[in-house]
Amino acid sequence: MLPTEPIGSIPRPAALIEAVQALRAGRISQSELTERYDSAVRDTIRRLEATGSPVITDGEQAKHSFATYSIYGLENLSPDGVPISFADGHIRSFPRLTSGPFRYKTPADVYLEIAQRYAHVPLKQAVVSASALSLLYPQGGISGYSREEYLDALVAEQEGEIRRCLNKGAHVVQMDFTEGRLSIKLDPTRRLLHSFIDLNNLVLERFSAEERKRLGVHTCPGADRHSTHSADVDYAAFLPRLFELQATNFYVQLASEPDRKRVLKMIRDHAKDGQRIFVGVIDPLNPRVETPEEVRDRVLEAAEYIRPDRLGTTDDCGFAPFSDDTSRTRETAFEKIRARVGGTAMASTVLGLG
Amino acid sequence: MQEQREAHEAILDRLNRRLRTLSQCTNTLLQAESEQELLQSVCEILVAGGEVQLAWIGYCEDDAERTVRPVAQAGSGLDYLERVQTSWGEMEPGQGPPGVAARTGKACWVDDIRTDPRFSRWRVAALARGYASCIAVPLIAHSKQWGAVNLRATLNLYSAERNAFDESAIQHYSGLATSVVHAVTALRGDLAENLAHGVTALRARAERRQAAEALHQAREELAHVTRVTTLGELAASIAHEINQPLAAIIADANACLHWLEADRPDLDSVREALAAVVKDGERAGEVITRIRALLSRSSVAHGPCDLAEVIRDVLLLVGPELERHRTVLQISLATDLPPVMGDRVQLQQVLLNLLLNAAEAVRNVPPERRRLLVRSAVEQRDDRAWAVVAVEDAGVGFREEQAARLFEAFYTTKPGGLGMGLSISRSIMDGHRGRLWATANPGHGATFHFALPGMR
Repeated sequence: MLPTEPIGSIPRPAALIEAVQALRAGRISQSELTERYDSAVRDTIRRLEATGSPVITDGEQAKHSFATYSIYGLENLSPDGVPISFADGHIRSFPRLTSGPFRYKTPADVYLEIAQRYAHVPLKQAVVSASALSLLYPQGGISGYSREEYLDALVAEQEGEIRRCLNKGAHVVQMDFTEGRLSIKLDPTRRLLHSFIDLNNLVLERFSAEERKRLGVHTCPGADRHSTHSADVDYAAFLPRLFELQATNFYVQLASEPDRKRVLKMIRDHAKDGQRIFVGVIDPLNPRVETPEEVRDRVLEAAEYIRPDRLGTTDDCGFAPFSDDTSRTRETAFEKIRARVGGTAMASTVLGLG
Repeated sequence: MQEQREAHEAILDRLNRRLRTLSQCTNTLLQAESEQELLQSVCEILVAGGEVQLAWIGYCEDDAERTVRPVAQAGSGLDYLERVQTSWGEMEPGQGPPGVAARTGKACWVDDIRTDPRFSRWRVAALARGYASCIAVPLIAHSKQWGAVNLRATLNLYSAERNAFDESAIQHYSGLATSVVHAVTALRGDLAENLAHGVTALRARAERRQAAEALHQAREELAHVTRVTTLGELAASIAHEINQPLAAIIADANACLHWLEADRPDLDSVREALAAVVKDGERAGEVITRIRALLSRSSVAHGPCDLAEVIRDVLLLVGPELERHRTVLQISLATDLPPVMGDRVQLQQVLLNLLLNAAEAVRNVPPERRRLLVRSAVEQRDDRAWAVVAVEDAGVGFREEQAARLFEAFYTTKPGGLGMGLSISRSIMDGHRGRLWATANPGHGATFHFALPGMR
């Protein structure tokens, strides 16, 4: 059977989003919120397992966002960092580091441990990439704390985070690299992309070849609300460099691409031996739930370009990478995942892998 | 007069259009929120201005082909950009206006695409789309902080008229290009550049660390090989050292058998002989254990180490070799040597090497000088006790000019020597924060000393 994995996030229950607001307003305590988080994680895992997904996540229920979970609550951050513009006009601002030293506050293995209490199938853990967090450091620098010191600390933090996730039994650790495609928009010379790739490789190279078999990278144009930040960037400018990352598994947004065959050709031409490509067969931004047959056909289409032993399926993106995103429902997310699992199984049978 | 007036009006009209274009571009340069938006808007404004049919901006890549990659374009015949290959390299694809402008930093134009030989490669495709002349203006910015090229690109314009890019046009578009460069630089900030600098520094550090680890591993391998070679030199003595107790064991065992065959066995003698068998067996076992330790390939393991034990172990190994060559060994050891932090096997290797060198140095001197002295002492340096061990011989010694090179790799005064022993010994001492040095004796021979800081 072809492997199939989710990306990470599932929309939070309305009660949880309200609880987060209630904490900010001082109406509930941190321990009450923690209980709500716990409850949401338990429910998400139960429902993900019910979809038949052989690998699940915790739905990132307790994460503030896919990019800021590890630093949320740090005192040496200010909210006015790099702004990320989305196609529909809304902007998410990245935080800005105001002083050193830099340490993670809540690394991903903390979330993994909680999820492990409830999961009965392998758990995948998503982590933010070092390249995304490199944007925390302000352009004007920080007196007494150089960018090099910051990057050094960042790489060490991320190595520790990933290693602990692996040691604690994560099925796979997925580095979210949504800023890869965005970087070409920020800097069309692609020097920024080169630096991102190099920085992430500095992390990945700290792992043995055996460990890297359990490491993956996810790329997408950054789904938030009903929009993306970099879907207009041509994959041709990005994909060849993506596969230079020293990871084994690549989770590539594909379902929402206007010309999937063109992208598949690029993947075929640029993916390196030993790399497995999990193609996106579900579009989380599209409210319509795909049918398993649609998914099957997308997988079979991909199998024309990628050998089945190097192919897997995934969703194009998480269903709510930012915790306050209510543009999609939990029900839709679970239905879409169910379609992915079913359609992948159907395709596997056609390919003789079932 | 009429013709003259029309000509003046045409010039005035052209200047007006340029002024309008420039004003629109300036607004875009000030208002654009992203680099892509800015570049695309500039192309669209230039085409809308009516002077050019096609406008595109290409970024110069550092790939093997030195591609000029279109990143923004507007106008008619956009498929032209998909059909042609443009480069800024020295080869033929780089000889067109974009390539020349990117390389030289100066505007490059073609007055008549039909006839200009520099444009022959692109002529058919260009004429098919109605282009008659073209210009490429460089967009180049250098980093203030690091000196690198921060932006290398060209603004490329194609007109349906021949000779469309006269001196005033070149001046106009060059001025616009300068403004675009400033705007791009301001928009981009130094994000890519600063990050690239930081990542490069990190990468360099990671590579230095890897190189240091590789060097460390190579040194360990070399040290191991040298130990094996040294033990090879001792093979005859070691064989003798093991054979001796084995012969004694056989003799004692035979005696036991003989005694046990008697009607009334002399059990006291049997017991005594068996005790000797055990003792000889242990002695042979000890020799083998010491050799195995020296042959081990295990990585360096630093721990508290008693130098007196190290000296004793090595002397037991070397003793038979010295006896074989009738060399007298004298020992003068301090009883209060502080324990040191180190790797026992490596420290044994250093002493073994010094002793074998000394033994060789006295091999061909008169018998009365065939003596070695191993001594140890405690010295106070830098507020702490140091253990100092010296191996003194009365052999051939070394000349003053040789002194500086004694510890160099591959330097040897011995025929057939590799010249690695002292070099490795010194690197082992360095790895222990210790010192290894040599002094010439006043009379004959040399003394090699090593000093290690005692544990606090």
